[in-house]
Amino acid sequence: MIEVVNVWKSFRSGIRWVEALRGINCRIERGRFAFIVGPSGSGKSTLLYLLGALDRPSNGEILVNGQNLVTMSEAMQNLYRREQVGFIFQSFNLISNLSALENVLVPFLPRGITADQRARAGELLKQVGLENRLDHHPYQLSGGEQQRVAIARALVKQPLLVLADEPTGELDSKTGDEIYKILRSMQHTYQATLVVVTHDRRFITPDDLVLEIQDGQVALDSGAIADGSSSPNGSRVEGSAGFNGEDSPGRGVSLKTGE
Amino acid sequence: MSIFAWRNLLTRPLRTVLALIGLSVPILGVMGLFSVSNGLRDLVGETLSRIEGVMVIRQNVPSPVFSTLPASLADDLRRLPGVRAVAPEVWGIAPNIEGRGMLRGLLSPKGVSSVFDQPVISGQDIAAHMNLNSAVFPRALKEKGEGRFLTLEDIGKPNIVISRKIARDFPDPQGNPRKLGDSLRIADKNYTIVGLYETGSLLLDVVIVMDIETARSILNFAKDSISSIYVEAKNPGEYDALSATIEKANPGVDARSMNEVKANFGSLMGQVDKLLMMTVSLALIVGIVGIINTMLMSTTERFVEFGVLRTNGWSEANILTLVTLESAFLGLLAGIVGCVLALIGTTVANQFISGGVHLGVNPSLLGMGISLSVIMGTLGGLYPAWRAARLVPMEAIRIGSH
Repeated sequence: MIEVVNVWKSFRSGIRWVEALRGINCRIERGRFAFIVGPSGSGKSTLLYLLGALDRPSNGEILVNGQNLVTMSEAMQNLYRREQVGFIFQSFNLISNLSALENVLVPFLPRGITADQRARAGELLKQVGLENRLDHHPYQLSGGEQQRVAIARALVKQPLLVLADEPTGELDSKTGDEIYKILRSMQHTYQATLVVVTHDRRFITPDDLVLEIQDGQVALDSGAIADGSSSPNGSRVEGSAGFNGEDSPGRGVSLKTGE
Repeated sequence: MSIFAWRNLLTRPLRTVLALIGLSVPILGVMGLFSVSNGLRDLVGETLSRIEGVMVIRQNVPSPVFSTLPASLADDLRRLPGVRAVAPEVWGIAPNIEGRGMLRGLLSPKGVSSVFDQPVISGQDIAAHMNLNSAVFPRALKEKGEGRFLTLEDIGKPNIVISRKIARDFPDPQGNPRKLGDSLRIADKNYTIVGLYETGSLLLDVVIVMDIETARSILNFAKDSISSIYVEAKNPGEYDALSATIEKANPGVDARSMNEVKANFGSLMGQVDKLLMMTVSLALIVGIVGIINTMLMSTTERFVEFGVLRTNGWSEANILTLVTLESAFLGLLAGIVGCVLALIGTTVANQFISGGVHLGVNPSLLGMGISLSVIMGTLGGLYPAWRAARLVPMEAIRIGSH
């Protein structure tokens, strides 16, 4: 389970400080498919990166499966990223001079790659439909194929948490659909918690958890609505986004699509 | 990780090649200078190994050519314990030979080609020298020369023994090397060549050997003066002790055993090596700066890559190791290139260098060149590696994405 408690994050921008996050509170249950949505510059990616221990908040606490990321040592953060979190980026961010298979194995490079890890990487690439592309380099792969390699890389460590930052942002809609199918299938298979930052709400389903961020604060937390708890900033969240489906009241939030 | 580092170098071939050139040229310079130093060391070592005895000269002069001693000193030395043989000698730079001389050579094409080719006269007390066991020139003549060495019959006569090199350097009017029986004009008199020797040493093959009285007349040496005395010990293992005994008994003279000369020369070459190292270190610093520049450019372009590696659990130390490995590989490549070029260069140069100097690139020098290059590469990569490792992963991805 992920618990974000009153998290603030400030950045220095030139001579002034910018508050990217201002007292964020939220909770994501284990195994959920969660979306963080909101306008550009609202702090979505910052929150995502903080969940991945890529930086530390200026204030507040982030607990992932009981581990406090804020007080974690640098070495433990490395271990956390290496073993418990998988990242997927908008720009795929594959290493250009490594093959697809080697890119999937990147987390294990410093410590040496075992036969078991190599076999697992090959199996994952097969699962995302790239069994014939193992030796191809990124420049030999389409955008969709590169993102599939990135998904395999995120999952090869069998993580508890997968964080994706606009995973379909550079793909056409058809390829985007395929990527989400793979992500949902993989999440189902590996029972990982998936947190996705996106502008594109077409891929949100009623069962997904949705956090809407505006100006560094949670404007809507569908999980909080489901619980009937108050919103992070003290006010009760009303169903401005209207529930859909009677079988899972409150868990799915129907939001505007196609933004 | 080392394979990954190696591939990172190959990904940017042009930059890698340029960095290689920047680093391999100073390495080539280091190798070249030290090969000359090694060549000189080998030459002198080889020359000194031919000489066993003690050379007695006046204190504070660099060589017998600049020394003057009383001729009576030879008798004093004969009386010292442990002395087996004593051979007085007169040394001096030869005046014009066949109209060519050192000073004239500096001003006109008729002179000797270099200062190392300048002939030197060695006038020997023939009777005393015949009593020596370790005389250099008679042995060289016997092993590789022709004709005969000086005997008692040559006392007071204008007979000389010269090296094959001198015979070639001062050919006859037809341009052929001088032969046995030919004459050689020294100053204004002709001298008959009775023997030709060959030591193969640049330092020895410039000596014209003749009777001591003949030398005195050419060099205007006083009858009661000599330049040096060659002393042989009864026991070859006691030369250092004999030197000390001679110096103690005769203040103002310098008795140099060849061990001492070797040690002094080694010390001198050590100083020369230091001087060379100081000179080439400037080039090495430029090479390191080149590596820093290359690696800084490389790491700046790869901020996203480092960010991605960090998100996948790579530690700061892993990033530091990766970048340092890349620059160390660059250093290794540059070292190999520099060494190969040095090997080729010295092989070619040795074809054109005569006089016993052989530019030496031995395995230890090759090892030193490659090690130095790897160290330079590693040092040059440390700052860019530290800079890349210190990036906060989130910042690395953000900076790189923009």
